[in-house]
Amino acid sequence: MPPTDKKQVPFRGGGFAPKKVRFAGLAVFAVILILWELGTRSGFITPLVLPKPSEAFGALVELVRSGLLVKHLSASLVRLIAGWSLGVSLGVALGIAIGLFSLARSGLAPLVSALFPIPKIALLPLFVIWFGIDEGSKIATILFGTLFPTVIATYSGIDNVDRSLIRMGQSFGLSWASIVRKIILPGAMPAILAGFRISASIAIILLVAAEMIGAEYGIGAYILMAGSLMQTDQLLAGVAILSGIGLIAAWGIGRAEAWFLKWR
Amino acid sequence: MRLVLENISHRYGNVEVLEGISLEVKEGEIVAIIGPSGCGKSTLLRLAGGLEKPGGGRILQEGAPPANSLNPLTYIFQDFALLPWRTVRGNIALVLEDHKLASDQRKAIIEDVLSRTSLLDFAHAYPRQLSGGMKQRVAIARALSVRPAIMLMDEPLSALDAQTRALLMEDFVGLWRREQFSALYVTHNLQEAVQLGHRIVVLSRRPGRVREIIEIDIPVEERASRAVELERHSRHLWQLMRDEARAADRELLDAANG
Amino acid sequence: MSIIKTYTRRVVMAGLGATMFLGGIAESVQAADKIKVGALRFTSHSASFVAYERGYFKKNGLDVEFKFFSAAAPMAVAIASGDIDFGVTAITGGLINLANKNAVKIIGGALHEEKGIDGSAILASAKAYEAGLTSPAKLGGHSFGITQTGSSFHYMAGRIAAKEGIPMSQIRLKPLMKVGAIIGALKTGQIDAWVIVPHIAKALAKSGKVKIIGWVNDYAPDYQVTTVTTSVKNVTQNKDMVKRFLKAFAQGAADFNAALVDKTAGEAVATDMVRLVHKYVYASRPYEKAAPSIRNGAMRLNKGAWLDVASIKSQLDWFKAQGLVNKDITIDQLVDTSFTAAK
Repeated sequence: MPPTDKKQVPFRGGGFAPKKVRFAGLAVFAVILILWELGTRSGFITPLVLPKPSEAFGALVELVRSGLLVKHLSASLVRLIAGWSLGVSLGVALGIAIGLFSLARSGLAPLVSALFPIPKIALLPLFVIWFGIDEGSKIATILFGTLFPTVIATYSGIDNVDRSLIRMGQSFGLSWASIVRKIILPGAMPAILAGFRISASIAIILLVAAEMIGAEYGIGAYILMAGSLMQTDQLLAGVAILSGIGLIAAWGIGRAEAWFLKWR
Repeated sequence: MRLVLENISHRYGNVEVLEGISLEVKEGEIVAIIGPSGCGKSTLLRLAGGLEKPGGGRILQEGAPPANSLNPLTYIFQDFALLPWRTVRGNIALVLEDHKLASDQRKAIIEDVLSRTSLLDFAHAYPRQLSGGMKQRVAIARALSVRPAIMLMDEPLSALDAQTRALLMEDFVGLWRREQFSALYVTHNLQEAVQLGHRIVVLSRRPGRVREIIEIDIPVEERASRAVELERHSRHLWQLMRDEARAADRELLDAANG
Repeated sequence: MSIIKTYTRRVVMAGLGATMFLGGIAESVQAADKIKVGALRFTSHSASFVAYERGYFKKNGLDVEFKFFSAAAPMAVAIASGDIDFGVTAITGGLINLANKNAVKIIGGALHEEKGIDGSAILASAKAYEAGLTSPAKLGGHSFGITQTGSSFHYMAGRIAAKEGIPMSQIRLKPLMKVGAIIGALKTGQIDAWVIVPHIAKALAKSGKVKIIGWVNDYAPDYQVTTVTTSVKNVTQNKDMVKRFLKAFAQGAADFNAALVDKTAGEAVATDMVRLVHKYVYASRPYEKAAPSIRNGAMRLNKGAWLDVASIKSQLDWFKAQGLVNKDITIDQLVDTSFTAAK
């Protein structure tokens, strides 16, 4: 039979799968910076509203040149690293305890839920009394801010470890320690690392709050100083440094994920 | 070594799952347990290996396991239970690490079981890279590495497609011919039961009771070629099971599984 | 933001004017200017409170609404953003930098240190005092509480250090954001020293946890502590309104000085004044408790809102020397002396 009415079936699939376009992110950054610079140069945006990006960059250069960047950055990094690493190691330890032991779960899980939503910034004056006005209170603020999300990430990670794997371990007569070390912890690792990602951001957010009280040096103190002096170019330079720290932290955790979770 | 179950009963809350089950697995014998879903056959297997405590009755090992057996009662799971963060070799090493073995001894065991299951080429692959059939072979290699006296197999082929199932079944038969292992083999699949079981225990559903025990006197390795004789057994088993299977099929899915 | 605001305000005013005219109710008396005045609940802000309560603002055609702040620094920002028209604030790095951005200007003086009247006191924590911090000369190596970098506390620390010959780098400045936080830190010995207005200083000294070790008077004798500040837009476009505000403000200041600083008006007037101020300051405390604090805290408010330009100049120079403000800013950019007497 001869074909009569031939028509190609129209294509209606495709889409809904965003792909990575190289340099698009960079281009958006660049366009915003250029528009911003042009706007401030032409006077359309007054210096009171926003400083020129070139001025903010100048403030950054000045910070490097004067050697203050090293002082501010090292003070902040010490607080960030000490506070965050203490917070997450305590958090992982507590999370494991809650994840594994009935008594710890019943005793501590409600406490964690009660303390988690308290803004640690509100406790800052108390921290000053408890831990001293110098590094103690600042590290404590970051420590407590990162502790609770880590606890929750860890024990919910442990809760989500495939029970059949644990049963397998038991059926082969693995010791309790082996089951925890070789099955439960690696199984909870994706959740723990996701918790690290969140707690690293929280640490950076809390840095500014922690350095509100009694800090001579530190990126947060620098930003607050620039704010109180209305030096908006320095303020933006400080914010740029913070977001740089954030990007580096995210990259580092990304590397850690790639290493620890290469089996995925 | 023999495994003896004496008058086992078990309940989850108010639901009675097993009642008065007695059976034994002799040395070199494969006992298949078959029954519709909800008859408690998986529960029975967990009880047999000590992963759960029975509500009543006793589970006994009679006779000493072979001297070199590291884990006399060893499971093979339906979902393979492989650690996704360990390679094939690592998954097998896992169950040996807790035993006092010299490292070259451990290595030799791993090489041995990998070659026996034709997995040598996949030693460094991660589970996500393997097909379901390969994963179950890894689980079998892992089980073999601890030299079990009795294998407790929980629907080992249910998660696989029909072709893979047939291939693995041939593997099991070959394995048994060489090793003469003992096993308690839980399945809901009639064909598997008649192809592998020396004896077939039919359970009734809820509470699970032993309905009938059928001996199949055809040697396991000859069964593939004596399909007609086997068919007689299958038909008999199906008669036993069909009413229960229908009832199970029409049941609302609110009771405990297994 | 401010552009849009002025625009709408002008449109509304024009619209209002037009309807009044068309309705035939336009009268010779100009409608009162609606203005917003920023204030802290401090005795030193009394000039505005008096001018409001006694109707001096009304008389000068100003319909005033107060906006209360908890610190001086945000007030300068609020003036710059157009949220308030006038504020009484200390000279801070932030204020100077806003003046540099051509947003605000100092137009008059308010609180002024004066020899013979108790001014701000220099405090040491009992702990530091016992360890040897018995006079401002020994501040080197000690921590000093300030609210923020570039605040008036920072400046006073600088003046004391300069006169005692202590390098600024030897004084460990501790920014604590809020006066309350500084008081807590000082009482518990977390910081060693601070400077604060007399009525707070005296109350702290009474508790025994804090010692007064000196007076700011001795280091900055003619310190113009707070000033009247407005936006550059008001200075250039609403000159008349600014003049009327300062006139009313000065009248309030004069009443206050007579009643509580010079005490020339008699006890009855003084009591009246305390009652008036109590409506705004320490309002949460009963009158009997608040009254002594209000009386103790009374410091000279500049007569006629005159401006001590010399003091402001030396403050500006210090801020420049510390690198806290742009080096190019001139005194004329910061101050407009055309509204009041200036020295």
